Amino acid sequence: MENLEDLKLMVEQWTNQGPEYLQKIPPFQLYAAIGLLLLTTVLLLSFRLVRRTKSNTVLLSGLSGSGKTVLFYQLRDGSSHQGSVTSMEPNEGTFVFHSEHAKKGKIKPVHLVDAPGHSRLRPKLEEFLPQAAAIVFVVDALEFLPNCRAASEYLYDILTNANVVKKKIPVLLCCNKTDKLTAHTKEFIKKQMEKEMQYEKLRASRSAVSTADIANDYTIGIEGEVFSFSHCCNRVTVAEASGLNGETVQVQDFIREYIKP
Amino acid sequence: MLEQLLIFTRGGLILWTCKELGKALKGSPIDTLIRSCLLEERSGEVSFNYEAYTLKWTFHNDLGLVFVAVYQRILHLLYVDDLLSMVKESFSEIYDPKRMSYDDFDETFRQLRMEAEARGMTNGNHKMEDDDSDKTNGKENTADNVVLDPSKLMKLRSKGVRGRGGVRKTDSIGNKSSKVAAAEPPKKATKKNRVWDDAAPKQVKLDFTDSVDENGNGNHDHVDIAAADQGESMMDKEEVFSSDDESEDDDDDELRSDEKKPEAKKKGWFSSVFQSITGKANLERTDLEPALKALKERLMTKNVAEEIAEKLCESVEASLEGKKLASFTRISSTVQGAMEDALIRILTPRRSIDIMRDVHAAKEQRRPYVVVFVGVNGVGKSTNLAKVAYWLQQHKVSVMMAACDTFRSGAVEQLRTHARRLQIPIFEKGYEKDPAVVAKEAIQEATRNGSDVVLVDTAGRMQDNEPLMRALSKLINLNKPDLVLFVGEALVGNDAVDQLSKFNQKLSDLSNSGTTRLIDGILLTKFDTIDDKVGAALSMVYISGAPVMFVGCGQSYTDLKKLNVKAIVKTLLK
Repeated sequence: MENLEDLKLMVEQWTNQGPEYLQKIPPFQLYAAIGLLLLTTVLLLSFRLVRRTKSNTVLLSGLSGSGKTVLFYQLRDGSSHQGSVTSMEPNEGTFVFHSEHAKKGKIKPVHLVDAPGHSRLRPKLEEFLPQAAAIVFVVDALEFLPNCRAASEYLYDILTNANVVKKKIPVLLCCNKTDKLTAHTKEFIKKQMEKEMQYEKLRASRSAVSTADIANDYTIGIEGEVFSFSHCCNRVTVAEASGLNGETVQVQDFIREYIKP
Repeated sequence: MLEQLLIFTRGGLILWTCKELGKALKGSPIDTLIRSCLLEERSGEVSFNYEAYTLKWTFHNDLGLVFVAVYQRILHLLYVDDLLSMVKESFSEIYDPKRMSYDDFDETFRQLRMEAEARGMTNGNHKMEDDDSDKTNGKENTADNVVLDPSKLMKLRSKGVRGRGGVRKTDSIGNKSSKVAAAEPPKKATKKNRVWDDAAPKQVKLDFTDSVDENGNGNHDHVDIAAADQGESMMDKEEVFSSDDESEDDDDDELRSDEKKPEAKKKGWFSSVFQSITGKANLERTDLEPALKALKERLMTKNVAEEIAEKLCESVEASLEGKKLASFTRISSTVQGAMEDALIRILTPRRSIDIMRDVHAAKEQRRPYVVVFVGVNGVGKSTNLAKVAYWLQQHKVSVMMAACDTFRSGAVEQLRTHARRLQIPIFEKGYEKDPAVVAKEAIQEATRNGSDVVLVDTAGRMQDNEPLMRALSKLINLNKPDLVLFVGEALVGNDAVDQLSKFNQKLSDLSNSGTTRLIDGILLTKFDTIDDKVGAALSMVYISGAPVMFVGCGQSYTDLKKLNVKAIVKTLLK
């Protein structure tokens, strides 16, 4: 108890001495100190704001089996190594594209995230959406028609996600496996996807189970008109690629469009 | 002879395959293994069968690697487990995240394989006599397993006494009902009352249903038409998800675990605290056991079936063993996090459960979308059928009911009342008719009058009742419905596992054509009667792999909602 009283006395002494001490300092120094404090806080806040808009994360999404993991390794290493199996976890990497290694100078690396496409791992994609600067939606051009419905549902979920709509994240519809003979063309795929999205739009209620806590209140498209990708407020473009052959030029151009080297 | 051995990362990149065993595998066994076993939280199992192959696997959780060995199912190779663990050890020494090709491992692997084969030979000679009995049991298991994919995954390694006792009990009940059922079908013509006198007084027929004329327009004073005045079905209402503070849950958990386990302090308090701060310890089985045991008991208090809780804990153990603890985390929180991930993965549906989409697709093909409701007695099939009809009607879909419950007294009248209230057509042929034929005619009628959806109500039946299950199988085979919905109540405990596995097994055994139809979806009923004991949902989804499409939570038309995965997981782990 004595210690406490001693402490109290000390604190009282300090508080009494405080204003006297402050008055002793010349006012210029005081104002300078306060000004410096304000300046640093303002700088920090502005840095945070600026950094938020300049994120360099690109998301590779799509159904299971569409070739995202192969594409990831093609962009990173220039080869798909020994093949891939169904991913159980996301693949992440911050790197400069393999084809850009030859270029001189400091190129900004890209943070590429390959999210698993299996429907049970869908929540993993939603973790990365807030930080995405661009999204590449990979579609299997070879086995397109059997998976058309699932692919369009997935794409619809992405396009109506709150983060995507608010930040107007651009989406690239990448038709993969175009090296095969029976692969569909990107125009065909685009038309089919628009047709399927029309159905998604028509339904009033979506019974997707895991979106109970994400507000997917946004709908896309214009009422009364057939859905087209130009109706989305964010840019949706179509491109072709071949993961196995390494033809990923169009994808790289798209990514570099939004993440300046 | 080993067919193939693969090493790949959890992210999906193949690091190494054996080039000596260059035979290409038929089909895609690895992808199927990942999709139907590892992602379904069955990684605690011993092996996985895919067509002609058996697959065995092991994880290196610290580096995030998976080692899979594939061999012919008819061979019972004993050295595969040994080989996998040796490969794991030697590969983790040379593994480097930056390296993508490991050609130098070929030589090492060849030596390891010879060593393992040699060891397996010598051990096999010693154990030949003991193993004979084991092998025959193993062969029986695999013979059963050939039948059905889901059921073989569900088969326990050693069926405990409890399992057999349970089967015996339901057998006796099943026998009684089967005797009654057996008496019914042979009677083709109804018995006429024998009249002794010519002028006997006519007995008044006991019938309390409302007087109905041919058009079905009954006594409108008593029956009010439900139509749209009951409001929006809860299916369309978004649930408000409140994210509670998780720290209070952790504190409670800590207190309970501290009270219960003073004896688990093998390593000493200081070293475990030190390790939890620095995070250098590799998780061992002994570390995980107490946390997993507590988790399993907690799951069981939430009404999860015992074998399901056991399998889940084994799977989580397999995925955490050998992993490095992150700094500043306790073991219990790591285990909790892994279990939460696993539960979310199981409850998230494997395919889209959008019925509206399917209905529209069927409409384009100008045929009705047929849904069959199956389940045991008294779970609420007819009630929930009416709720689904109400919900569909609210979305401008024309519905027709088919009364294929021709056994239970009052079933047809019950459906007729619902149909009158909802103003939808009903197809019925009365009692004691063959349900399969009634369903077929109902579908034809629906095609004629352009209904979008046909909801078929069937009689409740116990899963052990052979003749009734055969009748159900016949109904499904004959009519090829678009959706087979299993109706199960949330109050069920361990029996959920038995019900679903037997239903699936019977449906696949008794199917004649090439495509076997199994249960496509689950409708969970009486959800309002359980407060937080929501484990039945988990048991049912785990055992059958089918998603929960609807949840019935009351007895009025609007009490139908979707399953909120995150809320259920939170309740289970509280």
